[in-house]
Parts: sequence; structure tokens; C-alpha cells
Amino acid sequence: MISLQSVTKEYETPAGMFSALRDINVEVRKGEFVAVVGKSGSGKSTLLNMVGGIDRPSSGTVAVAGTEIHSLSESQLALWRGRTVGFVFQFFQLLPTLTGAENVMLPMDFCRTFPARERRQRALELLERVGVAQQADKLPSSLSGGEQQRVAIARALANNPPVVLADEPTGNLDSVTAGAVIDLFRQMAKSGTTVVIASHERDIARVSDRTVEVVDGTIVGIATDPYAAPEAEDCA
Amino acid sequence: MTTPWRKVIRDFWKERMRTALVVLAIALGISGFASVMAAYAILTRALDEGYLATNPASATLRTDRIDDDLISAILANPEVSDAEPRRVVNGRIRSGPVEWRNLMIFVVKDFGNIRVSKLNPEAGAWPPALGEILIERDAFRVARARIGDTVTVKIAQGKEQTLRVSGGVHDVGQAQARMENMVYGYITLATLAQLGEEAYLDQLNILVAQNRFDEGHIRTVATDIQKLVEGRGHPVRRLDIPRPGKHPHTDITGVMLLSMSTFGLFVLVLSGIVVVNLITALMASQVRQIGVMKAIGGTRWQIARIYFGQALLLGVAAIIVSLPLGLLGSRILCRYLAAFLNFDINSFAVPVWVYLLVALVGLVTPLLAAAYPVWKGSGISVREALADFGTSRNTFGTSVLDRALAGVGGSVRPLVFALRNSFRQRTRLALTLLTMAAGGLFFISALNVRASMISTLDRLFAGKKYDLSVALGNMYPSEKLARVINNTPGIVRGEGWFTTDGTLPDPTAAATPGNAGSSGLHSGGVAGGGQGSGGSRGTRVNVIALPPETNLLKLEIVEGRDLLPGESDTIVINSALAKKLPQLKVGDPLTLQMGPAETTWRVVGISRESFSPSTAYIPLAFIAERHPGMANNLRLVLNKTDAASINAVKTSLERNLELEDVRALGSLSQADSRFSFDQHMLMIYVFLIVMSGIIGGVGGLGLMTTMSLNVMERRREMGLLRAIGASPGFVWTIVVAEGVLVGLLSWALAALVAWPVSKLVGNFLTRVVFQTGLEFAFETRGLFIWLAVSVLVSAAASFIPAWRASRFTVREALAYE
Repeated sequence: MISLQSVTKEYETPAGMFSALRDINVEVRKGEFVAVVGKSGSGKSTLLNMVGGIDRPSSGTVAVAGTEIHSLSESQLALWRGRTVGFVFQFFQLLPTLTGAENVMLPMDFCRTFPARERRQRALELLERVGVAQQADKLPSSLSGGEQQRVAIARALANNPPVVLADEPTGNLDSVTAGAVIDLFRQMAKSGTTVVIASHERDIARVSDRTVEVVDGTIVGIATDPYAAPEAEDCA
Repeated sequence: MTTPWRKVIRDFWKERMRTALVVLAIALGISGFASVMAAYAILTRALDEGYLATNPASATLRTDRIDDDLISAILANPEVSDAEPRRVVNGRIRSGPVEWRNLMIFVVKDFGNIRVSKLNPEAGAWPPALGEILIERDAFRVARARIGDTVTVKIAQGKEQTLRVSGGVHDVGQAQARMENMVYGYITLATLAQLGEEAYLDQLNILVAQNRFDEGHIRTVATDIQKLVEGRGHPVRRLDIPRPGKHPHTDITGVMLLSMSTFGLFVLVLSGIVVVNLITALMASQVRQIGVMKAIGGTRWQIARIYFGQALLLGVAAIIVSLPLGLLGSRILCRYLAAFLNFDINSFAVPVWVYLLVALVGLVTPLLAAAYPVWKGSGISVREALADFGTSRNTFGTSVLDRALAGVGGSVRPLVFALRNSFRQRTRLALTLLTMAAGGLFFISALNVRASMISTLDRLFAGKKYDLSVALGNMYPSEKLARVINNTPGIVRGEGWFTTDGTLPDPTAAATPGNAGSSGLHSGGVAGGGQGSGGSRGTRVNVIALPPETNLLKLEIVEGRDLLPGESDTIVINSALAKKLPQLKVGDPLTLQMGPAETTWRVVGISRESFSPSTAYIPLAFIAERHPGMANNLRLVLNKTDAASINAVKTSLERNLELEDVRALGSLSQADSRFSFDQHMLMIYVFLIVMSGIIGGVGGLGLMTTMSLNVMERRREMGLLRAIGASPGFVWTIVVAEGVLVGLLSWALAALVAWPVSKLVGNFLTRVVFQTGLEFAFETRGLFIWLAVSVLVSAAASFIPAWRASRFTVREALAYE
């Protein structure tokens, strides 16, 4: 589903060239739940950005769901992203002037993936799935952090993408809520969606199929959870 | 409604105060533009329709006595659909004991059957009976008479006669009587005879049968008629062909309104600048949202559309607010101009094209203004957008100016803070300064234009050393006139001049249609002037024969020299005439037709004379060779020049002229002639002041928007200030100080460019209204007044944002993202 070959990423900074990623090679299968762990600034977010087409590699290739995304133009990339990748951010990033349901409908509006009449119904179903159907018509400002993140997850699933990327999705949540959110990702992976989560919390390794550890832009280790992996393969 | 549109509307609602400010700014611009465009459509339509309804003459011929045979012969020409004789007689009118007024009497053959250049009866009797006169509706105020009054009238050979004012008419084709300071009267042939004049008609109004709007065709037909009339032994004194189907004032009205609409568009551009500031700030504050929308699949165009949608909403809201305002404005403008031009507006209906144009301009302005910020803002990459941590990405302290400002210290901390703050958003500051400075510029220009017009007129009138001029009905011996002057108390001294009309022979003449139409103002109404315009025999020139070493006129010679005693073939032309003869140089010969003869003169000088028609000055000696010791014009210096003294002199002068059997056509004091100029000037001045008010309003709204954006963006800083112990008053002070600083900067900017710009604006406007340039003067008072206005407006504009800033709680401000 996801294939990164010899990916490097360098940024020009006033202090000279900075290598955010060095020679990264990763393969992720369909329905796999992968955790990218590392300290702040290690390059895990950059890795996620490469997969989501938010950033382009300085060298190497990135293929997601059969598309070599480094070859797409900006507008092709936007459309591709909308249909193929669902994003979940640390600070939820809901649009403040849209209600929960509307936030979920927005990717469908952008990508025209479902008939206009069905979009709200689908949004409500997704909100139901993540347990915040009651909050559908409320503005983000009146939701708790956990509720906002659930709406954000529903939004990530709006276009039924094969891949969901989450950057520190529990970083702003209490431990109970964080656990519930992680469960949602687990369920997603079970139902066949490829999930990649970046986190600096090592606990995530316990629930993921595989853990990729990044230090200073390099992958230093890949650990496989012996109990979770066969399940993922079943789904694939 | 799609989700992106919901976002458009809610984002605006969230910031409704600021949205309202911007809508108001655009609405001001659109209202101004809409008023002028609607007024233009209504006025030109009403003016031409009203004029056409009178069946205006295609051409007017002046000859001697017209009889029925002549008319039958003309009507035999199939190209002529109608021909009607009339006569225009100049005279004077007096109502009660008040002074004499200039009178133009139109003698109509049959009031029951006017077919060409019709009159609309408005009140009282129609037709006038023997011994009765009808008066043009606008002229009642000049005559100071009412229907039923008895007025004293004096024409040509006749003695003073009394006529009863029996009714009022509306003569659409005439210029406003009050502006011309002239009374238009309408009588029958029989009444003319009663007044002691020979009862005949000498003016022929012709209507062509076909192609009524084809000037070339009219000219061909009129020339044929002229030949026919001359062939039957009637000399043709003059042939006038007005612009077909166009009221004489259509063009000047159109030019005036169109130049106003240029200013309207200017205001619109300024309100566009406010939109630029708003949308730029909006895009900056929503960078992260843009990143998220891109991350979930929004393309640049889809995201740009959301913000263009907001600009479109601004436009729609502004149009809704401004249409009623614009229509109201157009009515006020129409009523004012209709009164000024003396015609009625039957319908204020605004044609569809005006609505469409206003809607288009209203929608396009904010869209255009938003184009750059939206396109730039929506182009940010997802990574950059998501990494953005606030609204002001450019860090203060990186540029040379920042460091220079950091060096400006001082003990008044809020002021230092405000000074540095105001330079943080440079583009926004520059755009805000531009709108505010424009208002100041217009205001300072308005005062400068006024001062310049006053100085130009002062200079013009300073050369004229007389207080009263009297045009005589004929030429009279100088001794007779000297006796009159000596016997009239209040006159210090006087001179007898000779004035006449000349024309430039055709080949050299630059055609100037409409020049004669405004002659009433420019010639001061002394000679009466014709009603037509665009004479076919070249440019008309006022010829004034001056006594050698006259004390009463000091020409301002700009090239060559003045006339010298002992000369009789030299001529000095004024700047208006020189402009029409650009090839002519001092020393060249100039041929003028005066009466039947052509005379060639040697040009010795050019004199500067603003606001004047084409005039040539010749030595009185030339006239004296033909009519020794005669004059037809008096120029008098009085010992007192207040209105009452002038009137007293006029009355006793009148009596003394009568005693000597000298017939006066009319008199005009310098004060009256100046008054007429001042009226026109006031119009320009008021227009500029109104414009500067509107632009200043837009500038104020712009500053208010800017300050509210600044406050919003610096919310966190305000919280920090409060956290480290700043009082709400301190926060309030720095915001207001920043606003006032912007006001001061805008004032400085306006003051810097005021000189060249006001010169340009002044010259442009006076050229439109008077066809003449200006003697530039700078009114320093304007600078100080605008300084006060700038400080007050900017303090007022930053008051509410400052108040809001001072009320942020520390927690709120620090939580704000």
C-alpha cells in the first residue's frame, strides 16, 4: 500500500543544509497499523508528510495505493490526497466556523466523492461510528478535546480513503480519551484501512502491528508485534 | 448550500463588525458612482426629450422684414417641413421702483399656432393679450415680478411703456435666466407696435423635413434657403445651426457628470484598498485552516473560491446598501442640475443599463481587490501552512527600518510602542495611508482650487479699473456722454469706449460650437447675445476699441506690447483668442470681419485674461477715423461701490441719459459680474468638499478596519502586556496612539503632494466648467484644518478597536490562536 524507496529530505536553513530524512526505505501493507515513533524533531512528521503528499522528497520515490505521488502536480495531489489519504492532526484542526457534520462533509464537497444529497447522511454515519453523533450540529468550540478529535477522525474517513495518517493524534488528550481514540484506529485497521500514526509515546507500540523508530532522520529499527500482525494480514 | 459556502457566510458573521465597516466603505464608493451614473442617464434623457418636445429649430436665419410670400417660397422647398418667423428685441425691464434689468423679448406671430421652438404655458394667461407680457418661469426671480404685476419696459426707439405680466411660460431652449441675469419676455406683434417698435418679424426658424439630426444635411438645406432669401432681396445677417436634437447644455452637463463619475470610480478604488487589507488579514489569520483544507483534498482553486466568495458577498452587501442611497443621491443631483439648467424631469426612472453597470462595478471591485491576496494566500503549501504558528509571520526586527525604529527611544513608552507597532504591517500601513491621504488631498485641493479661482478672478478684475459698464443702444457723441457723467452724482470719472462684434474669416477659424451659447456669462450680459450657437461664419470675437492711454483697463500683456497712442492699425488679442489661433505670432497680420467690411490688423501683443471669451483690443483712433467723437459704451468709476450706492448711481444715470436722449441697453457692475463667476466657482468648491468628505469617510473606515485587524492579530501581545502589569488604559493608549500616528503620517503624505495635485485638479475642473486655466494659489489654512481633521478622525477610528483591546482578559488573549 505504501512504499518509500531511498527517500531523503533536505531543508535549507540559515545554518546550512539540514537533513530531515536520510535514505528511508519502508513498505506498509494494506490494513497494517504502523506506529512511527521517535523524539520531537526526529523526522517522523516529515516521514508522514512524505506519505501524505504534503511534502516532496529531495530524492527517492514515494508510492501510495499504486500512485507515484512525487510525479503529481499540486492540484492533482490535492485531489489524490482527498480521496486516498485521511489526515488526523494533534490539534484536531477542525474549521472553527463549520459544525461537526459540516467538517466531515467538507472533504466530500472538495472531492465530489458522494452525491451531494448523501453527504450529510454519510457524515452522520461516520460520526455515529466514532461516537459523537450527538455533536453533529455543534461548532468545534463547544466540543471537548476528545470529541473534537473524534470528529477529526470521522472527517479523515469521509472519502473512505485506503490510508489514514495521524500525527500525534493523542498528544492533546487525557489518557482515557487517548485510549479510546487509539481503539478507533485499531478498528479502522481491522476493517482494512492502512493506518500510520506518528507518536513520541512508546506505548503506542503495544497496540500497533509494527513500530518504526526514527532517530535523526534515519530508521533505526522496525519491531513487529507478533500478536497483531497476523490479524492485519487477515484483513489484507 | 455547499459546505464551503457555509464557511464563507459564517466566517463573515463571526467578524460582523469588521465586515460591516468594509461593506460600508465599498457602499460609499458605489453610492457615489451610482448617483452620478443614474443622474447622467436621467438628465441627458430628460434634457434631450424635453428639448425635442419643443420641436427645436434646425436652423435660424436673421434677415430683415419677413413676409408671408417669403415664407410660402421657403415652404415650397420639399426639404423644409416648417418655417416660422419670430423676432428678438433687446430692451430693459423694471418692476416697481427697483433697478432696470436686461430684457430679451421674443415676439411671436401667433401664440395659438407655435410649431417650431415651442413654449410651454405654465401659469396665467395664454396667449398674452395686447399690452401684456408673458415671462419665462425662471426669469420671474430676475425681474422680481409676479403674474398680475405691471412692469415698465423700454426698448430701442421706444419710450418707457408699461405692460401687464399676464402669465408664465417655460422656454426649454433658454439658458437659466438667473444665471444669465436676464429676463425673457414673450409678446405679440401688436404689443410690439404699442411699444413703439415697427411691427415686423426678422428671424426665421426653420425645420428640415428629413434627417433632422444630420447637421451636414441641415447645413445644405439652410444654405439653400439663405440663397433663396438673399435672392429675393433680403440680406441674411446671420445663420445659426445649433447641434441637432441636443439641448445647448447637454454636453456641458454630460462632461460635468462624467468627470464626477471619475471621482466616484476613484472612491471605489480606495474602498477596494480597504478590501485588500481585510482579505489579506483574513488569509493570514486562516493560514492553518487553508493547510487543513488542502490536506483533506481542497485544491488551490477550491480554496480560493471560498475567499472570492467572501469578496463577492462584500460586493453584494455593498450593492444592497448603496443602491437606495445612490438613487436618492441621483435625485438630489438631478433636481439641483434641473433647476440650474431650467428644465423639468418627468421621470426619474433609471434605465436598466445603469443598474447593470452599478452591479457589475460593485461586484468586480471587491473581487479585483481580493484577487492578489486570495491567490497568494491560497497558494501556500500544506506543510508551510500547517507549520504556521500565528498571523504575523514576518518578524519585527529583520529590516533596516525596524532597526531604525528600534533606535527611536523615549520616555513615553506607549508612544514608542505605538510608533514601532504601526510599522509592523507595512503593506497594510501603506494602503491605509493611501486612502486617508487621498481624502486630505481632496480637501486641501478644494481649498487651493478655491483660493486659486479667487486669485485668478482677482487678477482679472484688478485689470478692470471701472465699477460700472453701460452698453448704449447706438453710438453717441462723446460731449453728450461727458455731460451725463458730469451731471451724475457718485461717478468719479468715466470713459467712452466702442465695442462691436467681429468674426474671424472662415478658413482660419477654429470651429467652437457652444461658445456663443455661454456668451451671456462671459460677455457679462451687456450686449445681450444671441440665443443660437455654432455660427457658420467662423469664431465670433468681441472687439473693444480703447481710448489712447486709457486709465480704466490695464491689460496684462504676456507677449509683445500694449497698444500705443497714435496707432490705428494695431491689435492686441487676449489669451482665449490666441488659443484659437495657435499659429498666430506677435507681428503677424490678423484679418477680422466687422460688419460688412474686412480689416487687416497687425498683432502687437497678447494679453492674459482668464474666464473670458475671445476678445481683441483695437485703438479707438480706428473708430474715430470713421465715426469721429462717437462712443457706444461707457466705463465708469464710482466713489462708492456698495450695492445701494451702485443702484443709486444707476437710477440717476438713467435719468440723465434720458435727458440727453441717449438710450442705454443695459448696465452691469463689476460686483454683479463677479457674483456670476462666484456662483459657478461655488459649485466646483462644494463638489470638491463633498468628495473629500466621502473619501475621508472611506479613509476613516479603512483606518478603523486596519486598527481592528491590528488589534485582533496582536491579541496575544495585549494579553502579555496585561499579564506583566499593563492597565487597560495603557493598552487603550497604545492603540489610539498608533491610530493617531497613522493619521499624522497620512496628513504628511497629503501635505507633500497637495501642491502638484491641487494644481492639476483645479486646472482640470476649471477647464471643464470655464474652458480656462488657473492662477495657482496655495491655501496654507487647508493644511492646518486637515491636520486637525486627521487627528480627530484617526482617534475616533481607533477608539472602538482600542476599547476592545483594553477589555481582553489575560486568559482570553493568551489562549487566542
